[in-house]
Amino acid sequence: MRLLASADIHLGSPIRSAAMRNPELGDRLKQATRNAFIRTVDLAISESVDALVLAGDIFDKDQPDLKTCAFLLAQLTRAADANIPTMLIRGNHDALLDHGAHGDLGPMIHLLHKGSPSVEIRDVWFHGLSFDAAHVSKSFLPDYPAPVQGRKNIGLMHTSLDGSPGHDPYAPCSEKDLMAHGYDLWCLGHIHAPFEHTSDSVLAVMPGIPQPRHFGERTGGTVALVELGDDAPTIERYEVGKLAFAECPLDLNECSDVPEVLRELRTGLQGLQHPEHDTAVRLRVTTGHHTTEELTSLADEVLENIDRVFLDKVKVAPPELKDNSKADDLVRLMREELNEPGFQLASKQALEELRTALPREITDELTEKALDALLEEAINEVTLSLHAGAAE
Amino acid sequence: MRLNRLNLIRYGRFDGAEIVLPRPAEGNPDVTVIYGPNESGKSTAFHGFLELLFGMKAGAHPYAFKFERNDLLVGAELGIPGRGATILRRNGKRTQSLLDDQDRPVEDAILSSALHGLGLDDYVERFSLNDKGLREGGERIAGAKGDLGQLLHAGVSGLTNMADTLREMTARAEQFHKKGGRSTSLKTGKDRLAEIGRAMRVDRLTPERERALRKDRDTAQKAYNDADAALAQARKRQAAGKAAQVWYDRTEDMRETDEALSRFPDGPDLKPGTLEQIAALVTTISEKTSRIEEADGRIARHVEVIAANEADPVAANLAVELAKLDQVKIDGASLTSRADTARSDLEKRTGERDDVVRQMEKAQATLRVPDVPAASLALPTEDLESLANAAQACQTTEAELKAARDVLKTAREQLGDAPPEPQDLSELQVAFGAWQKVADLSLSEQALEAENARLAKAVSGLPTSWPKLIENGLPARETLDDILREWSTLTSDIASASADFETREAEYKAARAKREADEGEPSSIDAAATEETRRLRDAAWQSHRSALSDETANRFEDAMYADDGARTNFLMGTEARQKLANSRALENTTRAVRDTTKAKLEKLIEKRDTLSKRIASNTEALGLSPDAGPASFTERYSTLLTASEIAAEVANAEKAVAALSKRQKEALKDLSVAARLVEIKGEESDLPARVHKALALQDSVRQAWEKWRRGEQGISEYEKAVSQAETKKNAAITRLETLTAALPLPDRTASGIKTALSHLRTLQQLHTEYKSLAGRVEALERAVQTLGQSTTRLAETLQESLDPEDNPLLIIDRARTRVSKAAEADRLRGREEERLAEESQSRKRAIDARDEAQSQLDKLFEGQGGTDLLPMERASLLSKRDGLRAKHSDADKHRNETRDSVDGELFDEELTRLPDATREAELQQELDDAQEARDRARDESFEKDRLYREAYNAADNSDFITEQATILEELRNGARRAAVAQLGVLAARGALKRLAAERRSTMLQDVEEAFVAMTSQDWEKVEVWSQTEGEKLVGVKTDGNAVPVESMSTGTMGQLYFALRLAGYRSFARDPGPLPMILDDILETFDDTRAAAALHLCAEIGRSGQAIIFTHHVHLVELARKSIPGVSIVDMPN
Repeated sequence: MRLLASADIHLGSPIRSAAMRNPELGDRLKQATRNAFIRTVDLAISESVDALVLAGDIFDKDQPDLKTCAFLLAQLTRAADANIPTMLIRGNHDALLDHGAHGDLGPMIHLLHKGSPSVEIRDVWFHGLSFDAAHVSKSFLPDYPAPVQGRKNIGLMHTSLDGSPGHDPYAPCSEKDLMAHGYDLWCLGHIHAPFEHTSDSVLAVMPGIPQPRHFGERTGGTVALVELGDDAPTIERYEVGKLAFAECPLDLNECSDVPEVLRELRTGLQGLQHPEHDTAVRLRVTTGHHTTEELTSLADEVLENIDRVFLDKVKVAPPELKDNSKADDLVRLMREELNEPGFQLASKQALEELRTALPREITDELTEKALDALLEEAINEVTLSLHAGAAE
Repeated sequence: MRLNRLNLIRYGRFDGAEIVLPRPAEGNPDVTVIYGPNESGKSTAFHGFLELLFGMKAGAHPYAFKFERNDLLVGAELGIPGRGATILRRNGKRTQSLLDDQDRPVEDAILSSALHGLGLDDYVERFSLNDKGLREGGERIAGAKGDLGQLLHAGVSGLTNMADTLREMTARAEQFHKKGGRSTSLKTGKDRLAEIGRAMRVDRLTPERERALRKDRDTAQKAYNDADAALAQARKRQAAGKAAQVWYDRTEDMRETDEALSRFPDGPDLKPGTLEQIAALVTTISEKTSRIEEADGRIARHVEVIAANEADPVAANLAVELAKLDQVKIDGASLTSRADTARSDLEKRTGERDDVVRQMEKAQATLRVPDVPAASLALPTEDLESLANAAQACQTTEAELKAARDVLKTAREQLGDAPPEPQDLSELQVAFGAWQKVADLSLSEQALEAENARLAKAVSGLPTSWPKLIENGLPARETLDDILREWSTLTSDIASASADFETREAEYKAARAKREADEGEPSSIDAAATEETRRLRDAAWQSHRSALSDETANRFEDAMYADDGARTNFLMGTEARQKLANSRALENTTRAVRDTTKAKLEKLIEKRDTLSKRIASNTEALGLSPDAGPASFTERYSTLLTASEIAAEVANAEKAVAALSKRQKEALKDLSVAARLVEIKGEESDLPARVHKALALQDSVRQAWEKWRRGEQGISEYEKAVSQAETKKNAAITRLETLTAALPLPDRTASGIKTALSHLRTLQQLHTEYKSLAGRVEALERAVQTLGQSTTRLAETLQESLDPEDNPLLIIDRARTRVSKAAEADRLRGREEERLAEESQSRKRAIDARDEAQSQLDKLFEGQGGTDLLPMERASLLSKRDGLRAKHSDADKHRNETRDSVDGELFDEELTRLPDATREAELQQELDDAQEARDRARDESFEKDRLYREAYNAADNSDFITEQATILEELRNGARRAAVAQLGVLAARGALKRLAAERRSTMLQDVEEAFVAMTSQDWEKVEVWSQTEGEKLVGVKTDGNAVPVESMSTGTMGQLYFALRLAGYRSFARDPGPLPMILDDILETFDDTRAAAALHLCAEIGRSGQAIIFTHHVHLVELARKSIPGVSIVDMPN
């Protein structure tokens, strides 16, 4: 059996990038997640797979809008018309979703849950359990059916496994227990960075997010084509996400004037052009002469003439100071100031005041842990602004 | 570091230029004024110096216009502490661009150490100043608006835009978020997020509503489909009716056509195009007949012309001979065209050639080589130039050698004996320098005292435990504000609730009293009496009904009256019961209201109790007495916060005093150790003075020694120069000998060669001229001979006699005329013969065409009647007949096609109705009705579909979600930027405060001195005034009038800025050390008095370091000469 595995599609979730400010580009980007799913179904049809497997978090919310539901149904119907059945489970993001709210799913689309955990397709048994609450802290594994003897068994599970950095535990499950459950293949979901584990003849695949939505998810962008034969399962990955996030480190400290900065930016950004996908660039610049605002403006100017590359964010870092430099009194004095209790109190209060005014979703940007990094940026900013002003 | 010499070796327009900055004489300041008019390259020199220090600019180079970028080279001799005079060069390479005097790469660390780690920008900002910088600096320090820290920063660093930067950063932070701000980015973003949240909730399409809308849409769609089908049926019926009418009309047409055809001749239908073919054939026959007649006439005319132009038998030979003659060229032109002049030219050129030969012989005689072939003496121009250069080089190098020997001799005479060598006191110097820096404790102690005084004032109203309170941590200001706000609200709410409760309690008590009163009313108990009355009435009625009499009637009447009374009583009882029910309901209502009010009051009291505990906790945390209310929190919090800040500053000041004291002791100890090493001893108290004296003495010894050493090094250089001059001279002589080895000249010395050079050049020119003339004479002789031979042959062919004196051109002309006429006759005869052949062919083709056309015409009319008619009339009649036949056929075809295009059954039905004048209108009415019904159904269907789609599209939240994410991302970025800006301003302000504390005393003293000196005593003092917003720099005039910096004139602000920069220079020169200060035409806006004062200050710079002044004003040069003792004036090199 050949099957195409995907998970964490997050239909309806927006791309999180400053590039969305550009309305023309924004229209393209907000379609990126849907387009990746269309390509997934295209791939299933062109490869004539025997099944399409979606291991949870198909939607970004429990109550997606009608259009998004209709879109999913239309795509899965397309697969069904090509005689490809779909097995899916609900993840933590779409735990409460009623997939049949807008009509019957049809005989080729199988939502696996506690009431109906297993289905047989072409002599292979698929088993899966869905989230029915947004957060589940216990393991689902004990509730999974025992493998059907004499047949191949495939499990669908949405889990944080042993816990991954940056992710809360969701239906945690020991990898060892998972591999020992008796199934031949596990199609997993929840962790957005793709990976696979093999133990004896058992394969566990985390397909990863098919379309990264922000810089932190830049390793995603693929789905997994798995072949389950007499031997151990094999896996091949295919790129479906056509919007990549990339980092572009540039040292512009030696650039003496703006034309030279523009030349370096052009060279760096042109190097990220790709004929088949768009690229959102995190520009990490080392310079002692230009502020973030100036570099953002210059990069925007350069990108007007570079197709398919756009700006995600600009991060500016100062060059390392020479050990023997006694040059900048202000920097020295500012650094001394940082150690003053009065300053520390005032800076924490200022940060807290700003933090409490922010919308809940972004308060993590200005926690006290971030204070040291912010102060470093602040000193750099003052120095850059001063020198930039003097150079005018 | 000192710049001794700048070499612009290949840089800009300079090629090997040098600017020497002489060391000042003992006791004079180190100031060099470099004078050059506009465009003389002062900026180029300045940039060259900077690029020597920091490397050449990457990419396109502004000074690479004469030399390629890779060839640019600057050099300098720099006095570097610890290394002495060091020659360095810098080329345009990206790496290893710094070279020593042998062009070997050296590390840039040599320079970066000497520059104390300063980069290019920092050096330019701190150690250079031009007119623009002076003007703008003045305006900007005015913008500092009383911030002493900013002013001192401007002086130390040269960066004057601190105020603008901080304002801009503050504005950026406030643009994102400001308390109470209504149009901040954060507020706008949050408002929009709230709107989006509301919109997403409102627009949500539930599955139930979606199903209802979908059902309505599908029902309307079905009705629309039905109406559309009915309309289609009506259209088919109308089409069938129209088709039946067509059938009927066409059948009538066919009958009329049959009648008309009986009047035309028989025969088959003409084929399509026959009529046109007949017309074309008739035309062809007519045209071809005319053509044959015209051809006969033209053939006769061609025969006549041919006979008149016969061929010439000798023309061919003549043409061959003339062609040969025309090929002969002289000077690029035909010989025949130059025949007249060739002979006279030959004679003239022969004379000229002989004249040149005589001149060459004369030149050779002058050179005393008469028998040598002239060609061996006529040298090429480049050889002559080499010879001249070699001879000149011999003479030049001889003179240079002599001059070098003279210089060496003079230097040896001036050097004299060596003075005593100085002792190495560098360690002592270092130790003494370290002592000087920490010698004065008073300033730090004063600062500590001031901070302690501030602290005492700040804590005067606080309990003694205030440090403990701060150490334990103060509550957040927002928490205190919240508590006060909450307390005020609660107090007010409790008072209001208490009053309300009292009112409600009174209302309840009144209601209860009324209910109790209503219950006590007797009228309320009446049921038994009523029953009794009724029973009596009924009994009376039963016992007396059969025997009614008056008495009985009276009795009955009495009983009835009694019943009425009972009824009245009953009615009264009903009212009382209603009243009682009302009073009970009122009692219940007022009790419930009272209880609610009471519960509210109790809840508020409970909240107050809870809040009181928080208040007590915060009261304790702020060190207030337990009875102090939250109203006193704010003031106490501010006082404690201020105390905390001042205490921190006191601690810092204490640390500074302790650290300075410790350093002072260490420095004195180090000084003592260093002094003992050089045999200086004494008590610690007078040790620094003794060391100072010893160092001063050692300075003069060292200077004398270094001067003698430089002189000795100079002699070595002069000896080297003599040796080099000798080498150059020998090389020049060898070169001359090599060049003259093959020349047959009697005198081959440098002077002999220089004398012979003019004759050799003359000989070279004459020889060239001779070769040209000899060639010319030879060519002319050959041409004259060829012309004679050719004219003889032409005369023979023409059978004419030829006299040698005749002009050969006459024979040639006659031959040409004969050839020309023969050629014209040949041309005419040939042309007529071609035309005759063509015409004969044409005539034959016309006869054939005419016969063919006639044959085809006969064939087209085969089998047709009308033989008595002309061809065109006959064809026209047959064509009309065929037209009628076609019309008949078309009508039949049309009626059949029309019938076949519609429904057969409907067609038959409609045909049976014809003829019928109103049928068409009836069918149209049916169609209109169906159309109208269909349109209504369609509109309804569209509307339902629109409603569904509208709901469907409105349910698409992707735009909202995208916008939500975009706004959050922007706010995330904005928050970070705002935090960075806010923290940056906070840190910078603190840093400026520190700067002010660190530098104020020494720098302000320097500033005042410089400013007073520069303004020619118009200003007396520079003071610092404290004010609410900070400290402020104020100039005080001699009349006592104090003027803040922002109120000064632009010129005075510039001078104050200059004073700040000079003070900054002094500060840097003290630690880490002096660097060359470069001033570019900054004095041009100063009047002479102030310019002289400023130059005095430049001299001050020159006493601790080096000052370099570029100017293009001659009067400033003179002013410098008068104002600065021993100033060096240097002109820009050409």
